[in-house]
Amino acid sequence: MISRKKKELLRMGLQSLLGYPMRTVLTMLGVVFGVGSVIAMLALGAGAEKELLQEIGRLGIQNIIINSVEPEQPENNNSSGGRRGWINYYGLKFKDHRQIVETIPGIERVLPVHLSKKKAWNGSRWIESTLFAVEPDYFEVFGLEIASGRALSPQDEEDLARVCVVRSGLLQELGIYEDPIGYVLTIEDQKFTIVGVLSEDRFQGYAQKALVADARSSEIYVPYQTVLKRQGTRSFSGSAGSWEATDVELNQIVVEVEDLDQVILTSRTIENLLSRNHPEKDYEMIVPLEVLAQRRKTQQVFNIALVAIASISLLVGGIGIANIMLATVTERTREIGVRRALGAQKRHIIAQFLTETTTISILGGVLGIFLGFGLVQILVIFTGWTAVITPISILVALTISVAVGITSGIYPARRAAALDPISALRHQ
Amino acid sequence: MSQPIISLEGIHKYYGEVEPRLHVLKGIRLDVTQGEFVSIMGTSGSGKSTLLNLLGCLDVPTEGSYFLGGNDVSQQSDDELSRIRNEDIGFIFQSFQLIPQLTVLENVQVPLLYGDSSIREKEEHCRSILDSVGLSHRLSHRPSQLSGGECQRVAIARSLVNDPLILLADEPTGNLDSKTGQEVLELMDSLHAEGRTIIMITHDQEVALRAQRQVRIHDGLVIEEAS
Ligand SMILES: Nc1ncnc2c1ncn2[C@@H]1O[C@H](COP(=O)(O)OP(=O)(O)OP(=O)(O)O)[C@@H](O)[C@H]1O
Ligand SMILES: [Mg+2]
Repeated sequence: MISRKKKELLRMGLQSLLGYPMRTVLTMLGVVFGVGSVIAMLALGAGAEKELLQEIGRLGIQNIIINSVEPEQPENNNSSGGRRGWINYYGLKFKDHRQIVETIPGIERVLPVHLSKKKAWNGSRWIESTLFAVEPDYFEVFGLEIASGRALSPQDEEDLARVCVVRSGLLQELGIYEDPIGYVLTIEDQKFTIVGVLSEDRFQGYAQKALVADARSSEIYVPYQTVLKRQGTRSFSGSAGSWEATDVELNQIVVEVEDLDQVILTSRTIENLLSRNHPEKDYEMIVPLEVLAQRRKTQQVFNIALVAIASISLLVGGIGIANIMLATVTERTREIGVRRALGAQKRHIIAQFLTETTTISILGGVLGIFLGFGLVQILVIFTGWTAVITPISILVALTISVAVGITSGIYPARRAAALDPISALRHQ
Repeated sequence: MSQPIISLEGIHKYYGEVEPRLHVLKGIRLDVTQGEFVSIMGTSGSGKSTLLNLLGCLDVPTEGSYFLGGNDVSQQSDDELSRIRNEDIGFIFQSFQLIPQLTVLENVQVPLLYGDSSIREKEEHCRSILDSVGLSHRLSHRPSQLSGGECQRVAIARSLVNDPLILLADEPTGNLDSKTGQEVLELMDSLHAEGRTIIMITHDQEVALRAQRQVRIHDGLVIEEAS
């Protein structure tokens, strides 16, 4: 509890500020803008981190994703003339899948994924789409939500059913406007019945890349066994007498680890296994947990840089206060002399000036927080970025304001207190 | 004779740290008893203000002892001197020395800020003092809105607020025309009549004669004038 005396001294400090309202407001502005930009930067940083978490989080932090990667072509095969009859055979094998299932401990499930580029037809309209041959669990593992109809089922696998789940974007492009469930699409030369439509919650940024998902949302999900048994893994493309075949047994293996703590270790074990099977590194491993940690680190460094830059304006604000206060001390030298003559001790003079500077900076800080909110709103509206104003950032801003007030006041205050009362009284 | 309220013994004051130092007061001896009204005269630069600053504990003597109300105050700490100024001394300056951004009432309350008693408790006291100097109708005005005479009356009210042992006035009428000067002097007279101890510097022989005792500073020493 502050004593009555302290309250009186506080009130006196405020009286002085009210005595010079314009100056007080102008001095405050530096802190207002400084705190405003710090708040905005902290909010943008927190927003970016949240977005990162969402984006990479969609890959599932307990998952390990292994993608086949086409190795660099040797020089002599790169010229178009020499590619006649070439079969491009690379990537993950069924054997890899089997070995992971059989030898790696602590694994919840392992999902094989095969991809192929196929033309999907609706009457005379067609679209270049990516056929995802996936097991039913794929939907759950990556949180793909069904908007209407159903997901692929184990029964579909058993029956080698020609059914598919699509995105609504694909329906639009193919001009299917009626109820799509039960609609039949022609994919290459086979007929697939649409049994489900995914919600429009698409993969974005890093997640999209990691899952080899289509930017135009024209993925078609079909039962894994259907593709494997009915079509095989080899795909041909060719024109004008030259043809090219690609044979990738598995484009992707998704491993879900039981225990979050074991994700990194498991990824190392799998890496060991694969590197033995693939001397030519024709696969890549994506560990979302690891990526998240790395990205977070980068983001945090970036955040610190942003806040540091914003803090410069706060520093300038603080220097502004110190500067004005020094001028004030000179201007109010006589007042200081009078107060000393009337019995003020040095600490009273110091308290008075510190009260003034901290009041300025706290008020500035509070206004700055409002300004920060406004800035964030404007930025979000005009850029579409995510921003999160955390309670901590408000606390940080207020603490910094108090610190700025005290540090910028301490030198002028001590100067004021050190004045000789007699010469201060004579000051013109 | 009763115990003097002020007792100076062999007071020397030098200005400057390096030789030749300016030797302003050269062994002053002065006793002032309770209720006396003393005027100090002397040529410009003779050291009148220097002496008053020492009496007011704004400065300390280079040599000698100063007893105020029986206590030796000649070599006290800065905080202790501040406390003495606050409780025992009332200053009245030539140029009033009011704080411009504060109202009349607030100016009078400033000494309370640095003492033990609270402003709230003493509010009535302040009002009645302002009433006694004839300013009860100007409480919320600022110094810039007052005449010189009114300003000096505010300053006198302020000097009385902590009921000091002594009032020190350095040419209180120096900035005033003779009519308002007269009013201020009448106020001083009435304070003296109430039993206050007053020490007042003046240039003016006539003003000095209002005091019951006149001293003159000459060549760094105090000379009593025969009244
Ligand atoms: N702080 C100081 N440093 C150095 N010299 C000083 C200081 N204060 C006063 N003096 C000198 O001491 C002498 C006495 O000054 P003081 O102000 O006491 O004179 P005074 O009698 O009050 O004169 P006046 O009638 O003009 O007010 C002067 O010569 C002055 O220049
Ligand atoms: Mg003088």
